[in-house]
Amino acid sequence: MTNHWNDIANSDCILIIGSNAAANHPMSFKYVEEAQARGAKLIVVDPRHTRTATHADIYAPMRSGTDIAFVGGMIHYVLEDMQHHPERYNLTYLREYTNASYLINPDYRGPDVLDGLFSGFDPVKRTYDRTTWAYQLDDKGIPKRDPTLQDPNCVFQILRRHFARYTVNTVVKITGTPRERFDAVCETFAATGAPDKAGTILYAMGATQHTYGTQIIRAYGILQLLLGNIGIAGGGINALRGESNVQGSTDHGLLWGNLPGYLKAPIASDVTLADYIGRTTPKTNDPLSANWWSNTPKYIVSLLKAWYGAAARPENDFAFANLPKASVGANYSWLTLFNALYDGAIRGLLCWGMNPAVGGPNLTLTREALDKLEWLVAVDLWETETAAHWKRPGVDPTKIQTEVFLLPAAASFEKEGSITNSGRWMQWRWKGAEPPGEARDDLAIIAGLMRRLKELYANEGGPHAQAITDLTWDYGEHPDPNQVAREINGYDLTTGKLLTGFANLKDDGTTSSGCWIYCGSFTEAGNQAARRDDKDTSGIGLYSNWAWSWPMNRRIIYNRASVDLNGQPWDPKRAVIRWNGEKWVGDVPDGGYPPLAVDPSKAKLPFIMTAEGRARLFGQGLVDGPLPEHYEPWESPVANVLSSQQNNPTIALWAKEIQQRGDPGRYPIIATTYRLSEHWQAGQMTRNLPWLVELFPQMFVEISEELAKEKGLRSGDKAIIETARGAIEVQVVVTRRLEPFYLGNRTVHQIAMPWHWGYTGLSVGQSANVLAPNVGDANTLIPEYKAFLCDIRRA
Amino acid sequence: MSYGFLIDTTKCIGCRGCQVACKQAHDLPADRTGFRPIRTNPPDLTARTWSLIEFHEVTKTRERLVWRFVKRQCMHCLEPACASVCPVAALRKTAEGPVIYDAKRCIGCRYCMTACPFNVPRYQWDSATPLIGKCTMCAERLAEGEQPACAKACLTGAIKFGQREELLAEAHQRIAARPDRYVDHVYGEHEVGGTAVLYLSDVPFAAIGFPAALPLYPLPTKTWAVMSLVPAVAGGTAGLMTFAYLITRRQRGLERQRAARQEPAPVAVTTDDPPADPLEEVQG
Repeated sequence: MTNHWNDIANSDCILIIGSNAAANHPMSFKYVEEAQARGAKLIVVDPRHTRTATHADIYAPMRSGTDIAFVGGMIHYVLEDMQHHPERYNLTYLREYTNASYLINPDYRGPDVLDGLFSGFDPVKRTYDRTTWAYQLDDKGIPKRDPTLQDPNCVFQILRRHFARYTVNTVVKITGTPRERFDAVCETFAATGAPDKAGTILYAMGATQHTYGTQIIRAYGILQLLLGNIGIAGGGINALRGESNVQGSTDHGLLWGNLPGYLKAPIASDVTLADYIGRTTPKTNDPLSANWWSNTPKYIVSLLKAWYGAAARPENDFAFANLPKASVGANYSWLTLFNALYDGAIRGLLCWGMNPAVGGPNLTLTREALDKLEWLVAVDLWETETAAHWKRPGVDPTKIQTEVFLLPAAASFEKEGSITNSGRWMQWRWKGAEPPGEARDDLAIIAGLMRRLKELYANEGGPHAQAITDLTWDYGEHPDPNQVAREINGYDLTTGKLLTGFANLKDDGTTSSGCWIYCGSFTEAGNQAARRDDKDTSGIGLYSNWAWSWPMNRRIIYNRASVDLNGQPWDPKRAVIRWNGEKWVGDVPDGGYPPLAVDPSKAKLPFIMTAEGRARLFGQGLVDGPLPEHYEPWESPVANVLSSQQNNPTIALWAKEIQQRGDPGRYPIIATTYRLSEHWQAGQMTRNLPWLVELFPQMFVEISEELAKEKGLRSGDKAIIETARGAIEVQVVVTRRLEPFYLGNRTVHQIAMPWHWGYTGLSVGQSANVLAPNVGDANTLIPEYKAFLCDIRRA
Repeated sequence: MSYGFLIDTTKCIGCRGCQVACKQAHDLPADRTGFRPIRTNPPDLTARTWSLIEFHEVTKTRERLVWRFVKRQCMHCLEPACASVCPVAALRKTAEGPVIYDAKRCIGCRYCMTACPFNVPRYQWDSATPLIGKCTMCAERLAEGEQPACAKACLTGAIKFGQREELLAEAHQRIAARPDRYVDHVYGEHEVGGTAVLYLSDVPFAAIGFPAALPLYPLPTKTWAVMSLVPAVAGGTAGLMTFAYLITRRQRGLERQRAARQEPAPVAVTTDDPPADPLEEVQG
């Protein structure tokens, strides 16, 4: 989140799209309802009438996967309205804080003229050369700008041309939203463009689990920047993270392409540290840009010092050669991993609190991939479907050679440590109960495992042994999470004292930090994440003395966009920071530089994490385009109305036999998967608890009354749902909460089902993800669980 | 001044945290449940499910579909019918507000189940020594200064616990502040003489499962009218049966006296003598 949970209560208009927050983040609704009690409007955009939609002031049904069309239509509305009623918007924000004024390479062409593609597309490699997406630079190497926003090559004009096609009539034909609902959404949310109004967007997997999911989020970002809603209280782009500590796990680099603190993971062409730094450190010539990522060398060196201690020295590139490196151009995310497993390329798997045999797409492939393993270590609370894959229904255990090791793990309340919530708040937790039997906490398991590996490598050698033996790894047999937290914070190695912030990190080997964005979380003053002062003096629910948020306990990031050029809040009633003549007061400022108009020689632009210092309406960082463009889901019953480019042209595809694609003639119905409040993810926690099994004892599928009539189905009937990947048999719930979509002259049906069930546990049932396709987002490869094609018939 | 709940169904998101919190607080076993087209599970209150969220889809047309989630449990009536009809005073209204149940006194007669206008008390049908089960307003937790488990678990504040008078005033304030939103009625303010549990809604209460047309007087005024006759009826029946016994005892005494004086008995039919066959006599 750019903002945080409590801040939702500050909003004037909450747009929940691609999220069923009431069901899946019920705590958030405390703040949503507080806002509503103050008169805020709740807009919910969702294919289904969910527990969230039912509380909306405006509920807009939208066909699953058409978010870019929907939000593109909202952007179109705002751009048009800006022409006729500029006084309704914060044009200073647009001009000064975004790249609206920046000039793009005149050879850039967009989908409006290239029939759904951007300039630079290689149809053989299915990739984009992004040269034409770059800024025009002046003779000092600084991007050229037109502050009047009229130059045809400026971002603002490109935006207008790009979204000109997203007219209301076109949009509702794509999304199936009733026209008057769509108009109401546009008008209501656009009103937050006023400088003293705040609109927030809450989203989750409904937005990301598409083959263009990252571009969906880009669309939200563009909308919020046009409305001046980033950096202000009650505003922002707010991802509702799906597990209690997934924010922590991505912060600490558990995604394959990251190192801790969102440093990029090294690739094979980064032979030396200098190569790595050269490739990953952005540069700018603009003296007004802080370009915070220019500090990358300090962060990578400090990280290497944290891991390798004395073995990391200036002479040996700080042991940079020890880091594993990805092959250039290769991808190691879930879909590629399970394809490799299926091909027998991987011998063993450590499966840590993770249940791929229920949670992964195309479960037939996933489960057969697991069968190829020589060994599997499952660290979990129960024997999950994954740990039990070798004896699942329908297989002969004697044919499966996987040796499974079950390591019982402690539950979250049975261990001490921190959890970082969606709002970036690192909150320390203490042990509430002893784990049962032999169950141990993850820290003990992983520390013990690595300690033993280190000894083995030291005694016996092995491939790249130094990468293991060089590790400091001084946690002992009973590791202390406080020690780890201090290591993450980092030390001044010359004094041995804990650092107070990443501004103190150096690239000369005199500092260490296990994760630069957490530097400041555990100082000589103590564990900041353990603070529990529940008094709020900000008036906007910052609670700055409760726990600790990264970075630097800043609660609302990009908050220097919440003030004008003199450092005064656009909205004094909900001020986040304010320049008092000498310094900033309020939240931790996003860079303590003086305001742009007060001291231009020392000032910096507010979006310090981009190289240019301004927020990107038009961006060069994604593989599938500088702007979001509507494409249809990989499996869709309709042709793309906007262009002849049916799907995202850059998505990864595999050989035909493992990636079956459904023909709309055979599978005309849209299927989507979702989660319940009462069950959790792949179900190993909740389907073993009687009180939760009591609430939802079994798997089911929801279908509309119209589809039920067409198929001769009633509630309780058993039906077979089939896709190109497989079929499941499941009981039907007929409900008015699902509707068909009327798209022009076509009616398209949808069905919806939870994906929590599998073959182990107190409550067993068919797994929805047997049906889901293993294609994913062009940038992240998150699978397209939210829209694919199926058919349903009576069993 | 006694405790109560204000349940604002417009704020409930149906997460069922309250339903599970109640189970946990009282260590109630799970009921065995099955597929349901409506998500309410178990389908109704049971001896082991004292607090239940009911799912209601309310609409006349698709345009105005709403999904409402209604917490159902003992209403803790100000003058409960169940306590009034219980022959052994196993159910009792306390001054603090909870209607509590003493299992040690209960004889399993189920009279409370018949009397309750909200159909709340449930029976342990599968037990050899069945008791009833119902919400206790967590009286034990109140005694320790804790809120009821459901109120504590509620994330949105749809369940608010406090002094009934204050909650009633707040309920009316909420209606006054949003007259476009709320049905102008606080359910439980007057029904059956008032209940400790009060509800607000934005759809008609009858559409979300509330008994309609309940009397506004406390039911004990009627049940008591009947129950207060029990001693008289019992005593009167005892007296009548004693009187009948005295008469029949006197009759038997008179028979013994007649036998002693060898007076012919009136008709005496014994099992030793088969009855004369009228046909035989005729055919003689």
